[in-house]
Amino acid sequence: MMRLRGVVVATLVLLGAMLAFGADHALGQATLVATYAIAGLGLAVIVGQAGQIVLGQGALVAVGAYVEALLAQRGVPPFISIVFAMMAGCLAGACASLPARRLGGLYFGMSTLAFAMIVEEVLTRWESLTRGGAGLSVPALGWAGMEAVTPLAQFLISAAALVLALVLCRRLCAGRIGRAWRAVREDEVAAAEACGIDLARAKLAAFAVGGALAGLAGALYAHWIGFISPEQFGLFFSFELLMLVFIGGARHLRGAVLGALVIVSLPQFITLLRDVLPGDWGRSAGVESVLFGLVIVLVVLLRPQGIAAKGRAG
Amino acid sequence: MPGQTFAAFGYPPKSRTVGRRCKLALRAQTCIDLFPHCTAFLRRSRQPRHPLAPPDAGTCDDTGVNALSLPPMSSLIQVLSSGVAIGCVYGLVALSFVLIYKATEAVSFMQGELLMLGAFAAVALSFGLDWPLWLAALSAVGLLGLLGAGLERLVLRRAIGQPHLVAVLLTFGLGLMMRGAVTSVPAASHDMYRLPFADRVLEIGALALSLSHLLVIVATVLLAVLLTAFFRLTRAGLALRACSEDARMAALMGVPVASMHTLAWALGAALAAFAGMLLAPITFVHLNMGLIALKAFPAAVLGGMSSLPGALLAGIFLGVAEALAGYLLPEGFKDVVPYALLMLALLLFPAGMSGRAQVRR
Repeated sequence: MMRLRGVVVATLVLLGAMLAFGADHALGQATLVATYAIAGLGLAVIVGQAGQIVLGQGALVAVGAYVEALLAQRGVPPFISIVFAMMAGCLAGACASLPARRLGGLYFGMSTLAFAMIVEEVLTRWESLTRGGAGLSVPALGWAGMEAVTPLAQFLISAAALVLALVLCRRLCAGRIGRAWRAVREDEVAAAEACGIDLARAKLAAFAVGGALAGLAGALYAHWIGFISPEQFGLFFSFELLMLVFIGGARHLRGAVLGALVIVSLPQFITLLRDVLPGDWGRSAGVESVLFGLVIVLVVLLRPQGIAAKGRAG
Repeated sequence: MPGQTFAAFGYPPKSRTVGRRCKLALRAQTCIDLFPHCTAFLRRSRQPRHPLAPPDAGTCDDTGVNALSLPPMSSLIQVLSSGVAIGCVYGLVALSFVLIYKATEAVSFMQGELLMLGAFAAVALSFGLDWPLWLAALSAVGLLGLLGAGLERLVLRRAIGQPHLVAVLLTFGLGLMMRGAVTSVPAASHDMYRLPFADRVLEIGALALSLSHLLVIVATVLLAVLLTAFFRLTRAGLALRACSEDARMAALMGVPVASMHTLAWALGAALAAFAGMLLAPITFVHLNMGLIALKAFPAAVLGGMSSLPGALLAGIFLGVAEALAGYLLPEGFKDVVPYALLMLALLLFPAGMSGRAQVRR
């Protein structure tokens, strides 16, 4: 019932957007929403389910995107290259989670920040492979003569991936490992000592799942945008993903989709708003960040549990 | 409910009984452990070059003439002095971060923006209103302190007792707003400014030290003394310390905890602005100067997140390590050094570097 309503609402929103902005533009944006939602889902597993602070999720997405771009340039078919991208994201997530074996909370969050900084620097400096700050261009997603170049095809692929990821996460969260994650989130010491949950393994699993989803999102993102460079995946992107999860409500997996919708459509609204603002002030570049920051502050202050928490708990 | 949300993010309230002396000694030991490595590395890389080829013989076709044409000792001192100077700035920003974190349990991601805003305020007062430089700098620091207090009253107060992520996102949003506000001033986003504090070079024999580096070091030492005096000798300082040790107990003793939070944010913002004043003569005043705060986080964590002197010392240590890495290692390693050191320290000494980290076996 719930799921049906979600699908209906999503379709209505998409149809409305298609009427308002034109089909291609709306589908392009919807593709972006779905891709962001996949990355956000990965973060929601780590932050919302396992309760770890992550400040560098952008780096995991970057790893997936670069692996996919490099493989696709060499003509590897997407079924294989996307699996490799997910595996790379998974591996990077596992590496990033190593300090979590012995540290909790904020210290660990800081170590993920350091991890992200190191990844960004490596991507910038390893010029023979990544071409550094100049960036890589990524060929269209395609196999055996078929290429996903129309917005509709791209949207369908992203939506399918998102649905698969959602189903997978729901299954995981409903199972043994999901219960372990929530136990770790609520109380690490009691979870480990009283219930016999292996903390390190639970955290590692959360990061492996989150990293794999980040890798998948990065791979799709690289294809849809067609060009990747290290600064696209910097600290701001990591915070955007955190925002996405927070806006949607970290405890709810479907919050990632809502959050992605808000985060992707926000710049559009801000552009609209800028035209309304009087005088030259509205045209300067800084206004966008002021408004974006304002939205963040207001959302955090007014709706600290996220949008998804408003309805039934699920 | 607040207790539950704390636990939700893995922070049971911290226990407050750790011997500070013991921690400092441990930290000093780690520094000593790390330094011989650096110096051994140094010796190894210098020995073949020095006796064979006198640096000014012109035999080598290196382009890094400036560093090579000096005798190694004095160029090493120059590298160290610039490392200590930039490390002082890291340390001050880390100090402001730790001050806020200790007093309010809030993680501030806007210290870099406060630093940038402070430097721009000084530029505006000094070039726009033609105030003398020292007055402009002091007023900018004061103004930023007021801004910090105001933000705490209006916004940041709501983050108390919430999970860390709330404060992280709030301060990130506020920082974004500050950055956007400065960007939308055309004069600020188009030009780079320089605060002409001390732009001469001090020459002692073959040694050429930048006066601005010395100024930064002296100012940091003075500020550290002042802060120590504030925390040891004044009533407000004592209250702030009590509040950051145990807020509930302090409240029972009659400390106005809410105004102490305001004071902590004001001090934190003013300290960041002061760091901006010190950074201004080293680099320029520009929009991205706040990125330096990203290197202050490793310093704060290395210092243990709960120790003010630790944050300052760790900042200086990172500055020196970074300068040495820039001197000895190939291009590009320099910027990674603080983060690599942080990861190493967190992996190897989760208990040693930070006595209060929640250590898991």
